[in-house]
Amino acid sequence: MSNRDIYLEALEFGKKTGADHVEVFFNKSKTLEVVIEKNDLQVPKGDRYQGIGVRILKDGKMGFASTNLLTSEVIQETVRSALDLAENSPADPSQGLPEPTPLKEVKGIFDQQGENIVLADLINKGNEFMEQTRGTDSRVTIDSASFKAEIIERAIANSRGIQAEEKKTKFENFAMGFARDGEDVSSFDFEYLVTPEWEKLKTGEIGERLRKKVVGNLGAETIPGFKGNVILSPFAAVMLLFSPIVYAVNADNVQNGISPWREKLGEKVSSEILSIEDDGSLPGEIGSKMFDREGISPQRLDVINGGKLHSWLHNYYTASKAGEKPTGHASGGDQALPGIGPNNFIIKPGEKSLEKIINNLDRGLIVTRYSGGSDPVSGDFSGVVKGGYLIEKGKELKPVKEVMIAGNIYKLLHQLLALSNETQRIMNFNSPYVAIDGVSVTGK
Amino acid sequence: MLKTLKKIVHGQDEHLEIRYHKRFSTVIQFKNGILKKGERKTLAGVGIRALVDGCWGFVSTSDTNENSLHRAAEEAIKAAREASNLKKEKIKGLGKGDVGQGKFYLYQKDDQEPEFGEKVASLQKADAKVRDAGEDVIGSIVNYHVFQDTKVIVTSSGAEAEIFDQKSEIGIVAFGAQDGKQEMAVVSHGVTGGWNDLFAREDLDKMTGRVVEIVRTKLKAGYARGGNYTVILDPRLVGVLAHEAIGHTVEADFVLSGSVVADKIGEKVASDLITLVDDGTEEGVGKVIVDDEGTVSRPTVIIENGVLKNYLHSRETAHMFSTEPSGNSRAYTYRDEPLIRMTNTFIKPGKDKLEDMIKGIDEGFLLVGMDQGGQADATGEFMFGVQEGYRIKNGEIKEPVKGINISGQAFEVLKSADSLSDEFKLDLGAGYCGKMQPAKADAGGPYLRCRVKIGGQQGEEEQDE
Repeated sequence: MSNRDIYLEALEFGKKTGADHVEVFFNKSKTLEVVIEKNDLQVPKGDRYQGIGVRILKDGKMGFASTNLLTSEVIQETVRSALDLAENSPADPSQGLPEPTPLKEVKGIFDQQGENIVLADLINKGNEFMEQTRGTDSRVTIDSASFKAEIIERAIANSRGIQAEEKKTKFENFAMGFARDGEDVSSFDFEYLVTPEWEKLKTGEIGERLRKKVVGNLGAETIPGFKGNVILSPFAAVMLLFSPIVYAVNADNVQNGISPWREKLGEKVSSEILSIEDDGSLPGEIGSKMFDREGISPQRLDVINGGKLHSWLHNYYTASKAGEKPTGHASGGDQALPGIGPNNFIIKPGEKSLEKIINNLDRGLIVTRYSGGSDPVSGDFSGVVKGGYLIEKGKELKPVKEVMIAGNIYKLLHQLLALSNETQRIMNFNSPYVAIDGVSVTGK
Repeated sequence: MLKTLKKIVHGQDEHLEIRYHKRFSTVIQFKNGILKKGERKTLAGVGIRALVDGCWGFVSTSDTNENSLHRAAEEAIKAAREASNLKKEKIKGLGKGDVGQGKFYLYQKDDQEPEFGEKVASLQKADAKVRDAGEDVIGSIVNYHVFQDTKVIVTSSGAEAEIFDQKSEIGIVAFGAQDGKQEMAVVSHGVTGGWNDLFAREDLDKMTGRVVEIVRTKLKAGYARGGNYTVILDPRLVGVLAHEAIGHTVEADFVLSGSVVADKIGEKVASDLITLVDDGTEEGVGKVIVDDEGTVSRPTVIIENGVLKNYLHSRETAHMFSTEPSGNSRAYTYRDEPLIRMTNTFIKPGKDKLEDMIKGIDEGFLLVGMDQGGQADATGEFMFGVQEGYRIKNGEIKEPVKGINISGQAFEVLKSADSLSDEFKLDLGAGYCGKMQPAKADAGGPYLRCRVKIGGQQGEEEQDE
């Protein structure tokens, strides 16, 4: 059966069961992956997958079922199962499915070369990575690294007339390592790259960055605590600051009363230097797509503008409930109901370089990796600095260890000092270095 | 299916492991009175691992007809052969434990298991009860998840196992707000078994009562000042420490990449009071019986009276260390290859009474349950969020504190252990262990008194120089 035959069979069967509305999301993927562990090639892997997720609405009640066994018999059973769940669930009048809206194809998210990639290509990437990471430095250990090539086909169809298909490629390199010099062991650190273009999977560069990070962390010393300036690397900033923002602007959390910003639309939520937009229509970006999990075209959206909270991320359900238009942020795949998530979450860079920002600080801490909790509800966080460097008199000085930082994210957002002009892509985030004032640093 | 898989394995000269795995799961989620998820999912397929010229190759597919499986086996063999040209350290052999043969049931099937509609009604009631507690409770989430696994494993080493497993979990979240402050609290449980097993320890009414109490306590609590303290960790935190901070460092794949306990077998790594065990036969959510390489589970004593005794192994690493595997090679779905994972990991109880342990502390904290996040490195360094903290002063429990994180080097913390309670619980809750792929794992122990570093929040009112 072709992709279309599969999802249309589910849709047509669903319509005949007496359901008010039916939605079918189809997902097919071919994945190749090579893994490195302990500085050596490990298991090469191949996977072929296809599956559907069926959402049924009846009398304001909803049910969902999914399967990856795609025979006609199982497809029909899955539709009946979704209907059965709907019939046994309480009604929610806000449930619904969207109508078709114009969709625009996004350029640069499918690389034809993906079709020709074989495991041997990834094995070569792995080798190149190992050479660049370890180089001649036997202190560096690649704990694990993976190289992945994926071709993804997504499709959606619903009983209100939405029907769309899209093909994407995704090339990924994740690497984690540490350095060991006698008894001195550095913290674990990692590098990550994801791109729709095969040519951009420059594993050598990633390896070199990882080596610099872990070797630079050797000889780390403890420092006394202080309260003051901290510069977060893009990695640390995404983990600590921007993931909680995604939580706070998720319309579902807003409507459930658990977003700390639920009453702050149009108000100041951060220093003026912060502007964030989300744009799922950018060519060549990993988070870009022609349609979201419900078949809506992702909009370019100002999330925070000059420190003011501008808009929420919506899927169809939350948008209908708020009396607004969906923004194209329904997230997820065939194995679960749609959630809400960012497409490409872009923090606008500042004007100064990282070096300039460091030069302006008398004393501070650069955090390259943060490990710990950041509670998006209260905003409280407290965690360990895994890669940290002490700045004194405008210079980046020594690596530090056993340092913890703590504070409240939503307060710190009002204490931003500067954003660097250089940025880094971390998954579907793009973030500069972020300098913050008034962070509690606990030392020894 | 067994017959087909046997045919494929025996039709090849190379070493093959073939695993059919069908997972049927149900998810129910309520948020603030609204059913957000009513999901029923089937995920099924076959994972094939081949060992050729000292290298593994792995192929998975959702297409399970016999011809496709033959082709997938060929592909796995080809992948292994291609990679073996570049692999430096060839696999020289596989350790052999007890090979699983026959049918294995990890749980008793329960005729009293409620229907979907009845479960929905119970969970809806629980969700409402959280928010009905008062105006200070502004939100609730109830998450329920159950999955049934059917596996058929056949290997060239003689494993022919059919495995039937079921894991259930529940989590209840309460969101509280007062005077412009917000807090959240979670209570959760996980078991190998069904609905009635899940609520045997604590029913929905008790869970909802407790989650409200915790969130209210947090709303009233102040922050602790950071520093080094004597604390008592509850069984869940002891479990988190045993699993995250100790357990991962003794997984042989981590040992081989130079974890902190490499070459330390036979050495003193913890206080005499500490005996730490991983045991897949124990009645926890990490129960395994036969692992995904077809090896029958056996308990592994990791630390005995403070001395490091054993690592956790796959068949591959067991051979390298000249020992036998004990059922720790696990894969989450058919699409995952087996990795060294923990099962139920715990510190054995001591003889002390919790009251006496508290009396022995001049200034410190009683720490209960896990909060957001938690992480540990191969160095044994860890950081965990704590859900409930209570100040102890002059041997008495005082006011609650919030926002606590504990950190330290796990083996140093275990060396500082000077008292263990006679109470014991396996209680990791509804969590998953993450290591490239998820795994259901359990962990626990007694209440344990030790020294840790607390990274409290240094607010305006409590600032260090």
